[in-house]
Amino acid sequence: MKIGVKILPRNEVLDTQGRAVEGTLKAHGRAVNQARVGKYVQLDVAETDQAKALAKAKEIAEFVLYNPLIETFELEVVG
Amino acid sequence: MVSEMNELKDKLKKYRLSVSEYEQIQKLLGRDPEGVEFALFSALWSEHCSYKSSRVQLKKFAQKSKRVLQSMGENAGVIDLGQGEKVAFKMESHNHPSFIEPYQGAATGVGGILRDIFTMGARPIALANFLCFGDPKAERMQSIVEGVVAGISGYGNCVGVPTITGQTEFHSSYNTNVLVNALAVGLFTKDDPVVTSQASGVGNWVVYVGAKTGRDGVHGASMASESFAADSASKRPTIQIGDPFLEKLLIESCIEVMKENLVVAIQDMGAAGLTSSCFEMAAKGNVGFKIHLDQVPLRDSTIGPEEILLSESQERMLLVCEPGKFEAIQKVFHRWGLDASVLGEITAGKEVELYWKKELISKIDPKLLTDNAPMYDRPFEAWKPKHKSETLSAQPLAVEKAAASVEGTSRRWVYQQYDQRVGGRTVRDCDDSVSVVKLLESGRGLGLVLGCRPYVMRMDARLGGYDAAFYPSLELSAKGFQPLAMTDCLNFGNPEKPEIMTEFVASVEALAHAARVLDAPVISGNVSFYNETLNQNITSTPATGLVGLRDNVDHIPRSEFTTAGDSIFLLRLPGVSFTGDQLGRKTAYAGDLDPDSIAKFMTDLQLLGNHRDVHSTRVVGKFGLGYTLFRMCGETLGATVEKGEWAKTPAPWSDEHMYEVLVCGPANLEVALRANSSGAKVWTLGKVTAGDLIIDGESKNLKGLSDAYVNGWRNHFAQLA
Amino acid sequence: MKPVGITRFLGTNCDRDVWQAVEALGLAPKWLWFEDQFDPSDYSAVVVPGGFSHGDYLRCGALAAKAPVMKSVSEAAAKGAPVLGICNGFQILCEARLLPGVLVRNESRKFIDKWVTLAPAGKTPWLKPSGGPLRLPVAHGEGRFHSDAEALKKLNDQGQIWLKYKDNPNGSLEDIAGVTNEKGNVAGLMPHPERAIHDWMGGEDGRAILGTLLS
Repeated sequence: MKIGVKILPRNEVLDTQGRAVEGTLKAHGRAVNQARVGKYVQLDVAETDQAKALAKAKEIAEFVLYNPLIETFELEVVG
Repeated sequence: MVSEMNELKDKLKKYRLSVSEYEQIQKLLGRDPEGVEFALFSALWSEHCSYKSSRVQLKKFAQKSKRVLQSMGENAGVIDLGQGEKVAFKMESHNHPSFIEPYQGAATGVGGILRDIFTMGARPIALANFLCFGDPKAERMQSIVEGVVAGISGYGNCVGVPTITGQTEFHSSYNTNVLVNALAVGLFTKDDPVVTSQASGVGNWVVYVGAKTGRDGVHGASMASESFAADSASKRPTIQIGDPFLEKLLIESCIEVMKENLVVAIQDMGAAGLTSSCFEMAAKGNVGFKIHLDQVPLRDSTIGPEEILLSESQERMLLVCEPGKFEAIQKVFHRWGLDASVLGEITAGKEVELYWKKELISKIDPKLLTDNAPMYDRPFEAWKPKHKSETLSAQPLAVEKAAASVEGTSRRWVYQQYDQRVGGRTVRDCDDSVSVVKLLESGRGLGLVLGCRPYVMRMDARLGGYDAAFYPSLELSAKGFQPLAMTDCLNFGNPEKPEIMTEFVASVEALAHAARVLDAPVISGNVSFYNETLNQNITSTPATGLVGLRDNVDHIPRSEFTTAGDSIFLLRLPGVSFTGDQLGRKTAYAGDLDPDSIAKFMTDLQLLGNHRDVHSTRVVGKFGLGYTLFRMCGETLGATVEKGEWAKTPAPWSDEHMYEVLVCGPANLEVALRANSSGAKVWTLGKVTAGDLIIDGESKNLKGLSDAYVNGWRNHFAQLA
Repeated sequence: MKPVGITRFLGTNCDRDVWQAVEALGLAPKWLWFEDQFDPSDYSAVVVPGGFSHGDYLRCGALAAKAPVMKSVSEAAAKGAPVLGICNGFQILCEARLLPGVLVRNESRKFIDKWVTLAPAGKTPWLKPSGGPLRLPVAHGEGRFHSDAEALKKLNDQGQIWLKYKDNPNGSLEDIAGVTNEKGNVAGLMPHPERAIHDWMGGEDGRAILGTLLS
């Protein structure tokens, strides 16, 4: 089963890439309130049960994929 | 019949072969080429791999001196430094890929030149880059600058090889054709073998190591041999992606297997990928290869044999080993997280046999592809100077203006992005006119400088060719280094145009002559033709890289003032003088160059560069004396200088001469300076002070000048962070 | 004296530089390969050098922090042995939670190579008590120290900030260039002391840090 891990910088952490995107959008007349640039990791886990797959992905995300000091993550079922 | 003709025409177009080349192939094979043979000839007969337009001229380069161990024809040139130390170095262009995709183009350029060095068994210890960009206002130029610099920084920093020097030029002739030339230096210390690419030993295995093969860069070599059309963006799918992390692992594992003498021969899969490494290794060794293409590790299982042969996926090597040593090789590569797979073996025949799923798809003598590649003696004319004049009408150029101009402004934004010290050898970094690494075993200094001043080339290709060797040699000499050898990267437009070929021949002949006079042979390099977009050719740019040697790294003269009260001396060799307009553009020159007296001047300077009382030296270059003096000022040290008998034109502070050098030290240094054998004249310009820069009584605020110098970059490149 | 252990991960590139510096100080260096564990009592100190361990992929230091050798480094740290992380080594020690905080991308979003001046403070066996400012080179793309307000207060209260930039090159919180653990035996810094060991390198202030290995 494929599980997606969406990782975003925490709101209180300065996101230099996000700031650069904001700047470019603004310069081209497409200003937004905020842009945050994160990472997306797709895991193909050897589980058919959705709950088990999500639990495994959560464990993996917490093991190494995200750093709680600067990031948050969300899981999604890809299929 | 007509449709067959059209089919062939389309095929030749696809493989970028001319009709006469096709006929030559028919003659060599004794039949029509078939199947993958089109792809093989296309790749190896491309300008990029075969040097078909330049080989005739390149023979003019002296490639030997008593120090040269390996020269052209190998992956890189190698010179012997004595005391058990040797260095390999080479410079190569990655111009076309860098214009299409600046970050990856520049990054893979660095990766490729590094592989040329460590494939010989040398540990890479320094990188340098010669960059020519267009007008900052030209379309895409700011993002190209940003991408190229980030690509070099991203790749070089990660592999852990310091970038210790560079040259960055701007001119509108590069607006649609930027130049990205990367140079790498590798060091052999005691007992390190110099490994060649010459395959040998019937029954030995042919082994593939490094990254898996993908579709990257298929037809890259023939693309680099073509002028740009307007739609170059559509060529994007062939761009290769570099992975410096994998390269770092490849460096460590390759050096380890070579040090342990596990390898017979090795070559990088660079331009034209597996094709060039297979055929060149077999041809050089005069042996046959049996290769199973289906054994090549693939990133994408849908890739066929032709694409496998032409793929320019990065970070891959082909090596030859004795079967009994394969296990030990595999162990080393596994330890570094890499794989090694056997593709085939060396045969007693003289042909390279390519198999796909046990079926023979091609059997061909590799020499037909390498040694028998076409060679064109493209038409050119004898050199006639266009901008030589008897009298010079100089226009003065203010130092402030020079410092703030795009040519004169600080390059710190560029080189601050490079790790200049990793390796723990850096003595002088990008801040200096000569970069230096310490050879830790012997304690000696290895100096590295790049050469070629495009503005001199624009005025006169012959003068510019000499200058590409003399100017950097002078910079080395002024720091007490003896120039030993050079590498070059000859960037030119379309060689099928006689005016371009004329400039090529004039500058190659001049460069070759200079190299002989200096006893600093050209031992490696490359030629990049077709730097042309929509009939617009670049400034002919024969970039060079020179290495020099010094007995120690103590008391190397600084490039800035060091001591208030020091006298500032000007050493000027009679010869050529340039004159420029009020924007600093060079418009004409007068006088003649005397290579022999220049060589003597260098010898004198090398002695001075080792003189304990010489505190600082600087070769006077672009924008003349005023700008050069400003560059020698520090935060707290300035100078007071005045016109003297030496000032013969109305613009003595901005005229340029080939050649002159500023030397600073105590007043009594004059005696040593006058004892020169070259006929250089010695003048005292003034003194180093703890104040501002005062020229002919006019005071220039150092803080203001330095702000103009630093802010100039930001003003020209407002779009860059 | 027991040897100084130097960790090597795939992609570490300042390993030889640290080796040379340790040798220049008259000590015996020894490699610690990332896949192996070691007995902390065999080493007088451990240095985690800089580079791009595991390509800096995912997050700087994150993948290296999970390597077997780090189990032993943690043991050494717990036993009070001096452990120093330089540049990427600092990032690894943070990711391994042996040091507080985290290092994120420079404010300029650009790699920066330059000499900086540092004000030493705090108490760590890694600092000679000379007290004067130090001039060392930095070379990093992700050296901006970050921590939440609470943790930062704790760092200040407990004197765990041992190096501060005089002219902040990367936007680091409170100009922080280096922090220690609570005990002070584990220290990390972004500048490279091993690149300032000899006069010919441009300065010798790195000895004030690596030279403490001698005592």
